[in-house]
Amino acid sequence: MAAPSAAGLARRLRAWLPRLTPVRWSRYGPSYLEPDVSKELYQKPLEELSEEEKEKLKLRAVHPIKAAPPSVSTSVFSDPMISKFTNMMMKNGNKVLARSLMSQTLEAIKRKQLEKYHKAPEGEKETIECNPYVIFHQALKNCQPIIGLSSITRGGKTYQVPVPLNDSRKRFLAMKWLITECRENKHRRTLMPEKLSQELLQAFNNEGPIIKKKHVLHKMAEANRAYAHFRWW
Amino acid sequence: MLRSLRGLVCHPQKLDHRYALHTAAKDCLSSLVKQDVQTPAEGPRAVFYTSENDPANHAEHHEGRHYTIPLEEVKAVFPHGLPHRFQQQIKTFNEACLMVRKPALELFAYLKKSNFAHPAVRYVIYGEKGTGKTMTLCHVVHYCSRQGWLVLHIPDAHLWVKNCRELLQSSYNKDRLDQPLQASFWLKNFKTSNERFLKEIKTQRKYVWGKRDSTEEGRPLGEVVEQGLARVRNASDAVGVVLKEIKQQCHLGFFRLLVAVDGVNALWGRTTLKKEDKSPVSPEELTLVYNLRKMMRNDWDSRTGHSIPEEVSQERNRGALLERNSLDHWNQHGELWNCKWRGCRDDPQPDWFAFQTPFCLFAARAAGEAQLSSRAAISTTGIAAGCSTRERTRRRGRRSCGS
Repeated sequence: MAAPSAAGLARRLRAWLPRLTPVRWSRYGPSYLEPDVSKELYQKPLEELSEEEKEKLKLRAVHPIKAAPPSVSTSVFSDPMISKFTNMMMKNGNKVLARSLMSQTLEAIKRKQLEKYHKAPEGEKETIECNPYVIFHQALKNCQPIIGLSSITRGGKTYQVPVPLNDSRKRFLAMKWLITECRENKHRRTLMPEKLSQELLQAFNNEGPIIKKKHVLHKMAEANRAYAHFRWW
Repeated sequence: MLRSLRGLVCHPQKLDHRYALHTAAKDCLSSLVKQDVQTPAEGPRAVFYTSENDPANHAEHHEGRHYTIPLEEVKAVFPHGLPHRFQQQIKTFNEACLMVRKPALELFAYLKKSNFAHPAVRYVIYGEKGTGKTMTLCHVVHYCSRQGWLVLHIPDAHLWVKNCRELLQSSYNKDRLDQPLQASFWLKNFKTSNERFLKEIKTQRKYVWGKRDSTEEGRPLGEVVEQGLARVRNASDAVGVVLKEIKQQCHLGFFRLLVAVDGVNALWGRTTLKKEDKSPVSPEELTLVYNLRKMMRNDWDSRTGHSIPEEVSQERNRGALLERNSLDHWNQHGELWNCKWRGCRDDPQPDWFAFQTPFCLFAARAAGEAQLSSRAAISTTGIAAGCSTRERTRRRGRRSCGS
């Protein structure tokens, strides 16, 4: 028929004239290396470097290096997790707003913890965590599921099969749940930083709706254990 | 985008590695933070804080340092009046620390040397947005309340001329409009801050509130305030009565009075309120504003004087203070002393100053701001017109150079 032959023609044409048909390629050639953005490596004096590090540095001296993306920074204040979370919170490319919301959230967490700290008796003061970054990381770690579900179709029916998740997928799910929860289940007049700070503090203490969601997912995976053999990877 | 995805695929450990590094760094930071919170280092505290908590004793060597106001005093002296952000800081850190700054010290010097036999002196605190005018005013209010003055503090005059849900027609004067909510809120806070004066000051006239309510002559002023709080409809009139009584009795010598108004340009600007027939309300038609304007005048036959530090805010009405009618209002009574925000005037010379000041005010304003409303530009005098007409910017944009 006309459609498959047209598609076949296009494929053959593409192989023959790679430059004429538009394709998304990286503009960097194969010899380009990824940038290594860490101050610690370059501040070490030469004597302390191990053999393989010296080899690596020599290699990097002769190869061209790709440009570092603007979101990566060597500042002590930059945190890749926070940047990723900010990007996920961003809507329509409004990074300024997303970043300001994030900083207001961290400020709100710090204020709440400081209030609790000042009101607590002497013995309990050490147990209260005041660093918003530690709370953020711990909360995300607590929200990460261990096992996930994947839909696999066998014999016309779709089954929810428990599958292991890799780290990036776990991190993504934790952040996605957090953001969806804060966007949907709040009062119209509550602002995002306030709701987010509340959810993060609850997740830090292993309570709250997102931890519940994680437990529900685990229970479902446990319930569908029988289908685990459908997984072939 | 493809490049970044590839980057993530090729280096899955990168995020973890940096994350691990960051947690290590953050752990160090957190332990440091904990240390600072638990045992505050004596060094920074000695440099930034001062133990002199009485504003009367603040001198030049205290400049730039913070002094603490005990929390009970904050509740008594500032039931309203502190900016919202500062109240948040008090709540978070469990302490109220105010910085001692030059304009406040200048004002203290004037207040200490003021001759109460002369008519009332009015001070204007002005400056760019976010420079600390309200905090200076609060510092002065604290000083005066510590000295035992009666403090009439209106926290934000803008709240009286905008966003008012209920406007009642005044029963006293058919042309004017009452604002029951704002008046009762202010009366409640006034009561908290000036309890003892309300018992000492007695009314000099009989006031009839309605068919059954009236306040006899010689009753303490506290009763008028109670009446205003109990019957919200009469709250604005109660405020007017309180202001009138205080003004009349100031010269008897029992107390010294400080009238502190934040955002005083709202009293001469425009309101956002509308009457039922959608016609705009001008500030004179509001009872609260009308009574407060009477307080601002210098026509006190006072032997015990008072002073009125006011603060001009950077709102859209900022041209209002420079309008012709308000200019005459200030000009008639001669003395208008300036506390310039940046840099202190070394030796204020009142006689020379009285003429120069309105123009100095213009010059400082035109230089410091990018926007002057064109209305103000038209109504100013010839000297100022030259510098202000160059900026015929749109009145719509509220963004000023400070933001």
